[in-house]
Amino acid sequence: MPLNRRLILPLILATTLGAHMAVSADISHEMGTTAVPADPERVVVLEFSFIDALVSVGMVPVGIADDNNPDRVMTVYGDILGDAWTSVGTRKTPSLEIIASLAPDLIIADKTRHSAAYDTLSQIAPTIVLDSLGGDYHASVAQMAVIGEAIGQPEAMTARIAEHKATMTAFAERIRPHAAGVSAQFGVTNADGLYLHAPPSYNGALLAMFGFDSNMTPGEGGVYERNYIETTLEQLSEIDPDILILGEYTDPSATDTWAGEPLWQALTAVEGDAVHYVVANNWSRLRGMVAAELTAADLLKIVGADESGS
Amino acid sequence: MRAAANRNPRRAALSTALIGAALGSGTMISLATGGRSDVGLVTLWELATGAADALPGATMLDIRMPRTAVAALLGVNLALSGLILQAITRNPLASPAILGINQGAALGLVAALAFPAASGLTLDAMAVAGALGAGTITFAIAGGFGGRIDPMRLVLGGVAVGAFAYAAVRFAYTLEDDLARSVVRWTVGDIGDMRWSNARALAVWSGIGGLLAAFLSHRLNMMALGEASSRGLGADPRWTLLAGAVVAAALAGVSVAVAGPIAFVGLVVPHVARALFGGDHRILVPAAAALGAALMLLADGASKMLAAPAEVPVGLVAAMIGAPYFLYLAIFSDALE
Repeated sequence: MPLNRRLILPLILATTLGAHMAVSADISHEMGTTAVPADPERVVVLEFSFIDALVSVGMVPVGIADDNNPDRVMTVYGDILGDAWTSVGTRKTPSLEIIASLAPDLIIADKTRHSAAYDTLSQIAPTIVLDSLGGDYHASVAQMAVIGEAIGQPEAMTARIAEHKATMTAFAERIRPHAAGVSAQFGVTNADGLYLHAPPSYNGALLAMFGFDSNMTPGEGGVYERNYIETTLEQLSEIDPDILILGEYTDPSATDTWAGEPLWQALTAVEGDAVHYVVANNWSRLRGMVAAELTAADLLKIVGADESGS
Repeated sequence: MRAAANRNPRRAALSTALIGAALGSGTMISLATGGRSDVGLVTLWELATGAADALPGATMLDIRMPRTAVAALLGVNLALSGLILQAITRNPLASPAILGINQGAALGLVAALAFPAASGLTLDAMAVAGALGAGTITFAIAGGFGGRIDPMRLVLGGVAVGAFAYAAVRFAYTLEDDLARSVVRWTVGDIGDMRWSNARALAVWSGIGGLLAAFLSHRLNMMALGEASSRGLGADPRWTLLAGAVVAAALAGVSVAVAGPIAFVGLVVPHVARALFGGDHRILVPAAAALGAALMLLADGASKMLAAPAEVPVGLVAAMIGAPYFLYLAIFSDALE
């Protein structure tokens, strides 16, 4: 593509006018390597875990894919986010027009949801693509470090990650004694069915890290076939976890309609009074460091090791 | 040749035995497969002798059996719907899917899911309303309300109505995750979580639909002679057309409301029934109902075995069985000429 004069002038200005305008970092990500400007100030994030990364170092994105439902992010990140951000629509199909109108200097997108739009997003601003939806807990933490580099705050992010890991280790020490030889399973349920989060998923990895077993048979295929598996009551009774942790998106949910059935009553978790209800949004959608700490705090209560009295 | 098949008692007996065997083995396979490994055909025996353990027994009675019943009843409904549509339109390509009726029902469902407050109707009612609406438009395009159906315009109209309805359904895939997943669940043909309440609702409609189809069967035979002959024999073809279309759309709509759209059953089963038993609808109505049930039972069993322990939606399996057979018919059979 030939450079025309309109492009050349700002290019010369940029290269001559001071170092802070220069390209500062080449960031490797799922779709290749992208040159990201130094200290980007206007960042658009298209998954919730990327909000988690930004607010960890006190940064507020200019644009957030909030599913047109601000409560999904504000209930946890509201204190830091305030109202100085714009919704760019749903995570699944964010509005390219609104993203462009925000004139971002960095876009952080998800591998499963946005790889197809990578070229278009890259025309709007330098774009990095990370595997939030399909990745597990450990991948999520690794992505935090990548985002730290991309937003020019690697030291602050490293410090936050170290703090997070210390927090999680402290949780793990208290939870692990209750997890040995115990199987635990998380799932979300809506009006149509129950979807179990399998071992390769974010929550699956988190439960494994705390020492819980899983009774699920690993599946194959895309993200939804591998990580989030629709499960009938009969299949659940075969998996039969010792602890069943449910996030409900609707009331009544599919599992509510199963409550009276013999197969549900005979579940180990039901008989042992070990069915626990958690906030589905925090467990299932956020997938960041704050989410992991909320999850750990919930687990502490679930295994009865919470001594704070709250 | 078909008339000969009809008169040949040995061949009719053989065909009946074939359907009986397919029904029996389909029922067995459907009942034998599922999530729990300790539940199988032996559980049936234990239930009969009172020796069943509580849990496998409950699984068989509360989960496997209603699901098997739902699969069979869906097959009955879709096959009868297709049989009636092919008879009243005298078009071998007519089926709930080709005439846009399934897609219309799916659109009704999606509208109810996306705007729960606006519709004010239940999912079932919206599915039937969508089926009737789509069927009405297709018939209007084909000139059906004047009593004469143009076969080419009927198929083209159905394809257009179906494509439009399904485009609107697919638009819902782009909506927010939870809604999109519900829509997917309602558009692939899934009977993973069925109970007796579903089976009972479906059985009522299958019963009514089956009786009406039997009641219509003589008129359907006259339609096969041509609209003019039908009129000459004292059966107003417009009345047959209207009654048949309403019964067919209701049967398809109710089926979609329970399981989502299942294609190919309504198209393929009537052809198989005619190949086995000839063209008399008084025989074809029960034969197609039994064949439809058998096909869906086998599809249900396969849907639980193909990707075990996960499941493949039964609608996809039905299409995988139905589509190649339809291709075979299209290439080698004179039934489509």
